[in-house]
Amino acid sequence: MDIFDPIILLVLLAGLYMAWNIGANDLANSMGTSVGTGALSLKQVVIIAGTLELVGALAFGDRVTTKIAKGIVPIEDIISVDPNIVIIGSLAAILAAGFWITFATFYHMPVSTTHAIVGAVTGFGLVATLFVDTFTIDQIQWVVLGKIVFSWITSPLIGALLAFIIFTIIRIFLLARVDDPYKLEKKFGYLQILSACFVALAHGSNDVANAIGPLSAALSAANITEYGVIPVWVLAIGGIGIVIGLGTWGWKVIETVGSSITELTPTRGFSAEFATAVVVFAHSYSSLPISTTHTLVGAVVGVGLAGGLAAVDLSVIKKIIVSWVITVPVAALTSGLIFVILMKVL
Amino acid sequence: MPIEYIRSVLGIFGESPFKPVHTHAEKGGQAVQKLQESVKAYCKGDYMAVHTFDSEISAIEYEADIIKQTIRKLIPSSMMLPVDSNDLLSFLKPQDSIADNAHHTAHWLTLRETELQPEIKEGVLELMERIVKTVDAYEDMVDDIAKLLETSFSKKEIKRILKKVPIVEELEHETDITKKQLQATVFKYEEELGGVGVFYLISLLRDMGNIADSASKAADRLRTMILRR
Repeated sequence: MDIFDPIILLVLLAGLYMAWNIGANDLANSMGTSVGTGALSLKQVVIIAGTLELVGALAFGDRVTTKIAKGIVPIEDIISVDPNIVIIGSLAAILAAGFWITFATFYHMPVSTTHAIVGAVTGFGLVATLFVDTFTIDQIQWVVLGKIVFSWITSPLIGALLAFIIFTIIRIFLLARVDDPYKLEKKFGYLQILSACFVALAHGSNDVANAIGPLSAALSAANITEYGVIPVWVLAIGGIGIVIGLGTWGWKVIETVGSSITELTPTRGFSAEFATAVVVFAHSYSSLPISTTHTLVGAVVGVGLAGGLAAVDLSVIKKIIVSWVITVPVAALTSGLIFVILMKVL
Repeated sequence: MPIEYIRSVLGIFGESPFKPVHTHAEKGGQAVQKLQESVKAYCKGDYMAVHTFDSEISAIEYEADIIKQTIRKLIPSSMMLPVDSNDLLSFLKPQDSIADNAHHTAHWLTLRETELQPEIKEGVLELMERIVKTVDAYEDMVDDIAKLLETSFSKKEIKRILKKVPIVEELEHETDITKKQLQATVFKYEEELGGVGVFYLISLLRDMGNIADSASKAADRLRTMILRR
């Protein structure tokens, strides 16, 4: 099989669509705080986010991508029986995640692409047991999946703790000591450029996998790429897709969310962004796919708990938890269903 | 693609209720300033102007009410604030009374035309001046809330704002003394004023006193809000 095989092309297109969504909404959310504080202009944010997202994806995106491609469902066990099942399964997973994300976005649900893709991949794995005799439910890496789900709970909490500590340090050692806190805020505007870069880099390293995880599984099943290796050009497809999403739609989302965050000052924005970037980057290093935006929400709550924000609307947390609980089973079910249909049709 | 294609979590950032709290305090100040003009007009016997000021102050008081409602809407139970939201509301209440009482007084002035004795006239103008000073001091204190929030309640800023509370209380106390003295003066002229005249002036002075009293209460509640944080 080569890359121009229709099914591979479909996986690629669906992956690009997913990448577009990530750039259009998720990356935009992560960068919205920088525009909200006035530290960066919209144009600057788009350039920084686009460049560093790509760098993050290319340089550090392989670990999480590998995890989504074969860490939850050990595709080597299926490839040895019938590689086509993995290719079709990848298509089913990326389509299911893409559909759900599109639906959720239209209804403004704070759904994470990470949760969608992990649910979808797991759904494919479960249904695959019905088609491959030698592949059983026990072979799905439940421990890995458990670790991933656990990290979804802990990452916003760690983000909150870290942001709390960072802002408390700024508060005690800087805000309480300077004569003119507004001058300090101006200086933090520059630091915020750094933290915004760091967020984009971290986001690229973790979220590119949501777009190209299934693609790289399909590519290795089709023997186009070497098994277990994620070539740079595959990461580049995801990264470029995300940048296109940012350039064509994400900038509008940044503008919209940025203009609604008027209460955030650079010291607060820096604290939340820096904490988010550290947490996301650490998870990329540990090959764990997490939601950048949920971590950011945790970090914002952390700054709020440290007394840094005039008003934090905690009702968002409830919405996140609900979307979270719905997303995984819905994505899994849709993915399984699409897989069964594709197996019958193809 | 419609602009509705947005999936955002940044609703986590609530709108600050403290900015409208500041605007709300300013409305109280504006009402009191207008009232001073109205009192001056009353003393001159320009009752037409008194009526005009009454409707102007009524409009300001209405605006303050709208802002108060906006603030209440901004703090649902899911909103996490750096202060207790109940404390914020119980601070807002006496602050709202400043404009309320100013409106009360302005309206009372329209109800009866009274020829004031020079001593009473002088006293009323002095009392009004003290009320304006009290409310000015109160507004000066409220101005500091922004910096308090910016430094996330640094000790220095807490000290600074809390130093201003006793200033308001002191000014209110002086206002109260002036009011009591003036009430005694009114009875001195009970023959000339007549029963209705005395009743009218005693009520007027009570209403005026309530304005400074509200400012002082609000200052006290602000202190409680900051200390209980």
